[in-house]
Amino acid sequence: MTLLETERVAVSPLRRGTTPRRKARGRAGYFFVAGYALLLLAFGVFPTGYAFYLALTNDRGQFTGLNQFVKVIQDYRFAPAFTHMLVYLVMWLVTLVVLVVLTAVVLRGRVRPGTSALFRFLYYIPGALAGVASVLVWLFMLDPDVSPVSWLLTAMGLKTFAAALAPGNLPLILMLIAFWTGAGGWMVVMYGALNNIPDEVLEAARMDGAGPWRTAWHIQIPMIRQWIVYMTIMAFATGTQLFVEPQLLQTASLGRVSPTWSPNQLAYVYAFQQGDFNGAAAISVVLLAVGLLAAGLLVARSNLFKLDEK
Amino acid sequence: MGSSIAPRTGRRHSLLRTAAVTLSLATAAALAGCASADTTTDSSSGQSAFKPVAQKEGSQITVWADSTRLPSVQAYQKSHPDVKMKIVTYDGGADGSTYLQSKVQLFDRTGSGWPDVVFGTPTDVTWASEATKPGARPFAAPLDEKLVPQSTLDGFAKGSLTPCQFNGHTYCMRNDIAQVLLWYNKSLMDKWGYKVPTTWQEYEALGKQAAKDHPGYLVGSVGDTNSHESYFWSGQCPAFSLVKPGTLRTDLQDPKCTRMAKLLDNLISAKAIATQGFFSQGFAKNSGGKVLMAYGPSWYGQYLFKAGFKTPAKQIAAAPPLTWQGESTTATGNVGGGVWMVSSHSANLKASSDLVTWLTTSDENQATAPTYPAYTQAAKAWLANPANRNYFANDVSEPFQQAANEVWTGWSNTRFSDSTAWSSVVLPALTSGKSLTETLPAWQQEIAGEAKTQGYKVVDQ
Amino acid sequence: MTQTALSLTAVKRRIRLSRTLPFVVVGLLLALLLVFFVLPVIWLLLAPSKTAGEVVRDNPLSFGSFHQIGTAWRHLFAFQDGAMVKWLRNSAVYSGGSLILTLAVSVPAGYALALTNFRGRKTLLVITLVTMIMPQATLVLPIFLELNRFHLIGTIWSVILPFSFYPFGVYLVYIYFGSSLPRDLLSAARIDGCTEWQLFSRIALPLAKPVVGLVAFFSFVGNWNNFFLPYLVLPNSEQFPVQVGLNQLLTSTPSFNPVAGAGLNVTIPELALAIIIAILPVLVLFLFSQRTLVSGMLAGASKE
Repeated sequence: MTLLETERVAVSPLRRGTTPRRKARGRAGYFFVAGYALLLLAFGVFPTGYAFYLALTNDRGQFTGLNQFVKVIQDYRFAPAFTHMLVYLVMWLVTLVVLVVLTAVVLRGRVRPGTSALFRFLYYIPGALAGVASVLVWLFMLDPDVSPVSWLLTAMGLKTFAAALAPGNLPLILMLIAFWTGAGGWMVVMYGALNNIPDEVLEAARMDGAGPWRTAWHIQIPMIRQWIVYMTIMAFATGTQLFVEPQLLQTASLGRVSPTWSPNQLAYVYAFQQGDFNGAAAISVVLLAVGLLAAGLLVARSNLFKLDEK
Repeated sequence: MGSSIAPRTGRRHSLLRTAAVTLSLATAAALAGCASADTTTDSSSGQSAFKPVAQKEGSQITVWADSTRLPSVQAYQKSHPDVKMKIVTYDGGADGSTYLQSKVQLFDRTGSGWPDVVFGTPTDVTWASEATKPGARPFAAPLDEKLVPQSTLDGFAKGSLTPCQFNGHTYCMRNDIAQVLLWYNKSLMDKWGYKVPTTWQEYEALGKQAAKDHPGYLVGSVGDTNSHESYFWSGQCPAFSLVKPGTLRTDLQDPKCTRMAKLLDNLISAKAIATQGFFSQGFAKNSGGKVLMAYGPSWYGQYLFKAGFKTPAKQIAAAPPLTWQGESTTATGNVGGGVWMVSSHSANLKASSDLVTWLTTSDENQATAPTYPAYTQAAKAWLANPANRNYFANDVSEPFQQAANEVWTGWSNTRFSDSTAWSSVVLPALTSGKSLTETLPAWQQEIAGEAKTQGYKVVDQ
Repeated sequence: MTQTALSLTAVKRRIRLSRTLPFVVVGLLLALLLVFFVLPVIWLLLAPSKTAGEVVRDNPLSFGSFHQIGTAWRHLFAFQDGAMVKWLRNSAVYSGGSLILTLAVSVPAGYALALTNFRGRKTLLVITLVTMIMPQATLVLPIFLELNRFHLIGTIWSVILPFSFYPFGVYLVYIYFGSSLPRDLLSAARIDGCTEWQLFSRIALPLAKPVVGLVAFFSFVGNWNNFFLPYLVLPNSEQFPVQVGLNQLLTSTPSFNPVAGAGLNVTIPELALAIIIAILPVLVLFLFSQRTLVSGMLAGASKE
């Protein structure tokens, strides 16, 4: 319901300019989006529709209504997997938003530009190790026998790799990995967004007697809100996709991590171990629904589409 | 429970009314209807006689092997240059990997791409002997159907082909067996004047004694992914017992399980048995030199003591499996042991079967194989190979052969790996300080849960 | 808050205040983050210089010897007859190919979404956003079945085509043009008699340089590091990109896979070296595109 409003906002500015050559522009528009639209249909829309189709049928193509959903929700692994994901997401999003925005503000306003560039670069480096590489590195970081911070691990009572990988620690570990690889990139983007704010605005605030923290809170952060929301959505989307990280932790910990730790892993097990592609699709659709609901709310609340209006 | 999803879906629909037409028009209509069909259909029933696909003599065969077995396949190619082969390495199904299974699921849907010969785990045979979906043919070809002579199949160690057998057919050839026996450091035992135990009671007593006399020294570990196969399989605990096809008995309150758990708990609290795995990262560094005894598979000798702990030669010795005092039955466990399968989709079954036969049964290959051969004749050649015995302080042939014939067959090969529940439920509990005895119910619950999702009927009697 | 707009330059520096407490807090925050981000990287860079035993025994941040790096190098590249080289080449083909396609498709699309008007534009925009947010991993399976129908499984297209679909890139371009290219400018050019194609190629495209860098960067990094799709659609280990190859190395490392990895020369130092080599292209790319990244954002602002 709320999304419709933002769509109106998004579209309104375009209705203003009714030029004589509107038709030509329309045709040109089709031409420009044609390639993308094709890919979108092939790898976005069609697979989604297919996932829905699979979720509502069985392996003979017979219609089963909501039964696939009932089946997967009643699975004893379903609730734990979604709980894990939820705990992880909350930790990850809160940490990400708070630290990225704070760091970007600090780097933008309180550090010499040269130093700031160096810090941004160093924070970003781990981003190059996303995916498999990051998990491998953190496996070593969490192993008291090889870790450079083994004293810290030991002080926390984690004397062995196995103890470090205790089930309760996993959301934190995955959060650390995600933050390590992802936060630096967002700091660069957020810094860029802050740089977008005209100097005049900041100067005006300074003239009004606002200190750096108040300027950040009342001017800079509201002005980059769009980007913060954008980051949150993207991070949320990545978070719900959690697959490679727990999967590799499972391999490397020799099975101490459950193979169905995250919903995506559960879907994977459904499809490839149980041969139940329909059940897997049902889990995917549930994930999709959760993701879309949250994203829809965020989009609606943040007026992300207002960008058109200027 | 289904109702919890309905409002969500409805809401999503209203949210994206304009945009998601493509996605959800069909959905909305569908959700409103009522459903009758089953969510899954049973595909395993009704095995008819094996009908090979059209054969093409001399056509290329694709072989999937793990890195350990790769040299064997390459050796075959070298000695049989006329056979056209394509060799691909993959993880070999180690540590419960489902890579092969995933790929076969996908190939079944694409209708092409299957490898002709694969190396895998016994767990892989459970799904490979059944169709992955209605109308598909099981991936593994029944080797006893004119592909491999019965006399060859009869030459495998007793029980070693059990994991290959389903519906009265043999779907794989066992590469190696990993019979569990007692490993000990002969130099230390002699030095301290300890007598090698023959029963579990002696093992427990000696463990406590050693921990008291020489703190830090260990008589075993329960912290590895497969430790349960060393101890509970050997103890004949009915954890994974298929009483008939499709019905799994798992009863961890059986005295055979509880007495083993109690024994291990005692040794753990005496600090004679580690909850850290032998193969965990720091073990070799911290305690590798302090392993007085280890109860585990035949490959412990080469892999654990020689390669892992770097124990000097002529210190480590092997003894036959332990028994329970006052009981006449001897039984032991099995930790791993790969299998070779031939694809039922192969267009060159002859070359494929020949390769598998050569790999598993020929002295040429097996005498120098990294693990103990399942084929009895080849096992003799393996034991005769000086490279396989010179490292040890005693003659390991006797205990190896004895243990190979004592592997308990009551621990069934199920469609799910027996390691998952142990590793993900029991090991973290042990690490956090819980006892095995108090973790048994949670272990059983996890096994039952896994079994049910795999379509087994679960009983505890 | 923006009522009084004073045109002053270089105000940024003056905003810095020199009170002690915030300085300590700021310093502490930056330093802790620095350790958190950099320490693992340093460890990783040092690990290949040591033997597997030294990695466990020695100071984690000590340097072994250059000789050992050479040994690890030889072990790594001997693994499965130089599989590492093949994997790197595959990664380059997949990421490079899809990068070209992504750019060719998403720059015009983002431009059209931001600055032209056509029926269905709104729908396309929303679907773009939705697919962008959608968990892509859940679509891998239907995508597989679809690729199969067109007999693309096992070909490089089974990776390149799905990789090329990059709604995030389109969205970035859309945001960029929407905020940095004034519509009045286009209207003026139209009055001057420019065709729609000329508008795009002569006005929009030259301006798009920063955002092209941005999209190229995110797309390349994302595709280079992608694991799930190639893991499923490429049956043959010869075709693996390096990320999937790393997984294979992991399962071949004795410390992580005692049974399958035994007897192989791939241990912690080799694995660390493999990680370094696998991420090197992305790292180099970042060195060159950092300026593009920031100036892309700045360019957007200066057009306001």
